[in-house]
Amino acid sequence: MTDALVVSGLSKRFGGLRAVQDLSFTVRENETLALIGPNGAGKTTSFHLITGFHRADTGSVSAFGREIVGLRPHDVCALGLARTFQVAKPFGAMTVLSNVMTGAFLRDRHVGIARDKAREAIAFVGLSRHEATAAKDLTTIDQRRLEMARALATEPRILLLDEVMAGLNPAEIDQAVALVGKLSARGLTIVIVEHVMRAIMAVARHIVVLDHGQKIAEGSPREIVENPEVIRAYLGSGYVHAPGTGDAHA
Amino acid sequence: MAVRWTIPALLLLSAIVLVLPQLVHNAFALDIFIRILLFSFIGVAWNLMGGYARQLSLGHAAYFGLGAYTSTIMQVDFSISPWIGMIAGGIVAMLASLPIGWLCFRLRGPYFTIATIATAQALMLVFLKFRDIAWGAEGTTIPNLGSSPLMMQFETKASYYYVVLGLLAIGLSITYRIEKSWMGYYLVAIGEDEDAAEAIGVNAPRIKRDIYMISAFLTALAGTFYVQYIYFIDPATAFSFNISIEAALVSIVGGIGTLWGPVIGTVLLETTSALLQSWLGSTTGGVQLTVYAMILMAVILWRPTGLMGLVSEAWQRYPGRKPAGARAAP
Amino acid sequence: MLETVTQAVINGLLIGGIYALVSIGVTLIFGVVKIVNFAQGEFVMIGMYITYFLFSTLGIDPLLSLLVSMPVLFVAGALIQHVLIRRVLGPNDMPQIFLTFALSLLLLNLSLLLFSANYRTVHTFYSDEAIHLGGLYIPVAKLIAFVVAMVLSGALWVFLRTTDLGKAMRAAAQNRDVATLMGINPDLVFAVAFGAALALAGAAGSLLMPFYSAYPLVGQVFVLMAFVAVVLGTLGNVIGALIASLMMGVAESLGIQFVGADSGLIVVFAMLLLTLAFKPTGLGGGRMR
Repeated sequence: MTDALVVSGLSKRFGGLRAVQDLSFTVRENETLALIGPNGAGKTTSFHLITGFHRADTGSVSAFGREIVGLRPHDVCALGLARTFQVAKPFGAMTVLSNVMTGAFLRDRHVGIARDKAREAIAFVGLSRHEATAAKDLTTIDQRRLEMARALATEPRILLLDEVMAGLNPAEIDQAVALVGKLSARGLTIVIVEHVMRAIMAVARHIVVLDHGQKIAEGSPREIVENPEVIRAYLGSGYVHAPGTGDAHA
Repeated sequence: MAVRWTIPALLLLSAIVLVLPQLVHNAFALDIFIRILLFSFIGVAWNLMGGYARQLSLGHAAYFGLGAYTSTIMQVDFSISPWIGMIAGGIVAMLASLPIGWLCFRLRGPYFTIATIATAQALMLVFLKFRDIAWGAEGTTIPNLGSSPLMMQFETKASYYYVVLGLLAIGLSITYRIEKSWMGYYLVAIGEDEDAAEAIGVNAPRIKRDIYMISAFLTALAGTFYVQYIYFIDPATAFSFNISIEAALVSIVGGIGTLWGPVIGTVLLETTSALLQSWLGSTTGGVQLTVYAMILMAVILWRPTGLMGLVSEAWQRYPGRKPAGARAAP
Repeated sequence: MLETVTQAVINGLLIGGIYALVSIGVTLIFGVVKIVNFAQGEFVMIGMYITYFLFSTLGIDPLLSLLVSMPVLFVAGALIQHVLIRRVLGPNDMPQIFLTFALSLLLLNLSLLLFSANYRTVHTFYSDEAIHLGGLYIPVAKLIAFVVAMVLSGALWVFLRTTDLGKAMRAAAQNRDVATLMGINPDLVFAVAFGAALALAGAAGSLLMPFYSAYPLVGQVFVLMAFVAVVLGTLGNVIGALIASLMMGVAESLGIQFVGADSGLIVVFAMLLLTLAFKPTGLGGGRMR
């Protein structure tokens, strides 16, 4: 199994604020990694750094052995790294189909072929009945599905999902989890930023925890849940028990 | 648009447009038609960049002027045919759009617009100053050669009509091809959300640069035509802010980012202008622009998608329709 | 030589004060309402015509007409924001850009129709007076204009920093949604911002009359300066706009003195070009102050 994504020593400051400090982690091919942490921990910023929307101050990111720091977002996408945004950014005036076709054009400029690929991606996320709907008329959840379909149309090998489950009810979370499972079954390497514990536990075997821009823990779900640093970051020192006492699973 | 009667309607329209100069001989009327065709063409050129990709330039007069001056200099100083000069002007404009674009695209939104205004004004200043190559503020007339098709001079207005009609046809067909291709989708994506477009592999800076070049090229062709039509050029006319305004205006009023929008917008605005002129006589420019400004405000406040937006919405209510192409109904 | 330079610098600073009033208005609107007011220059023009008519019909001195032009334009600004601008605030910038642009076009051409293109001047008892300091020549009218401009700018800055409404405006400028959640009424804040900006433009108009002629296109000159100053001083940054305006006044003046009479515009373009090429975000920190 090769390393799909290697992040090493990644750092970024905005003025006086150290948004991300010396972040390092490795994602193996076809693995699903969850990136978690309290709000403001630097998760979305990490995505911006990895995908080229912000230029890292120091550090390196390599995707399948290829260094990508310094590349513009469109080049990063062309190399096989796609992402969704925390707040969906659909092309409102276009239909769902056109939105996804725009993604498909990266790999093939022929309109007919792009249309077929787009339809496939749309079917995968379950949006087929809204194919002709204007993106701005979709519900928020459907806009997120659209975002995912659009990213999928670029035929990525690595997919970065930013809080796709936020605001979903339990049934919807299950659907989303199943979707992520399907993506993984297709061979995709996935990095998912999430707050919804249930979803994280269901999809990820490998978790990285950030707080104030730094990695404070890394490991399996079980290890993370028992890690005093993680508990301190989320709930404060008052909740940290000595190891071995009290309950210790999600 | 996948409606049954579009093709026959288009054919009918084309037939009328082609035959018009044979039926109408009134010089004033023909002049209006020529103006309509010319400004439709300028609007179509603007629309590629400003309508689809929402890069709202108010400095397209820069390219109009560059085209006009290039062909005129080549003609007056070197006796080269304006047909060649027209292409040369287009190329000059394309090349100029590279540094201008590089500078202006460093700003987003309204500041981009301001930067484009400033560059057009700056070019006007340059041409006002440089008497050596470009006759300075007084400009020049081009020698009247009577009927000289090879030098783009004709005796009848009808011939000018067909030339500019040809230009418009070229502009419309380029727009149509682009709209239906991957580039059309990319342009609209950039116009909607440039960051999201980048995230799915759209090289926004390059696409913006490319569409700017095409837009500049076409606008320059219009500049050459205009000089040939009025036999005169000076910096105030060639780089007139009014041209930049009208280019944007006709597209917005008619339907920004649509194929026929600029044409519809031009028909409305130029007809209004002609009517005003005939009711009020030859007045100060103040009236025309006041009316244009009011129309623009009305469109922005009530129907930002323009007249095409109205048509499109009405069409949506027509049973059995399906939207086609990149854009859904507004 | 030093005297010539100093004179040019002084001339530049004096007119820079007027540029500051106009550009602070633009940057304030941009910072708070997040739109560019293309019509800002036309409100300077309106201020000038109000002052002219007050003077020619009622003999009211331009400085006194500040008491008229500023409130009138404040109210006009609040109304324009409430009735027109509010409707086009949204993610799309096209309507925002073209609405104020259309307003600019409308006001300019209406003025052309109503007042014709003739220059209107106002001649007060101090229009020709000057203070002689050392070898320097300081026109009284311009000095008054500069002082009042600085006072007004200072007053605005104090307002933004110390009053609740001012702070609300700065909050809305930084994050409109959060500000709304905090109970700040965005509509009110925007109306005040627009009103204040237009009041400053009107003030500029009144202050200009003793030494500058009014004509329909006059706004265009000032608005161009204002936009460059706003970009140079960083969008939304009031102090930045002030300093940049003074800088531009000085640069323009030095250009006129040492390069040529009509090089003013060239200097402006050069400054814009340099800013765009090297530091498009402007000299400030990118924050609204």
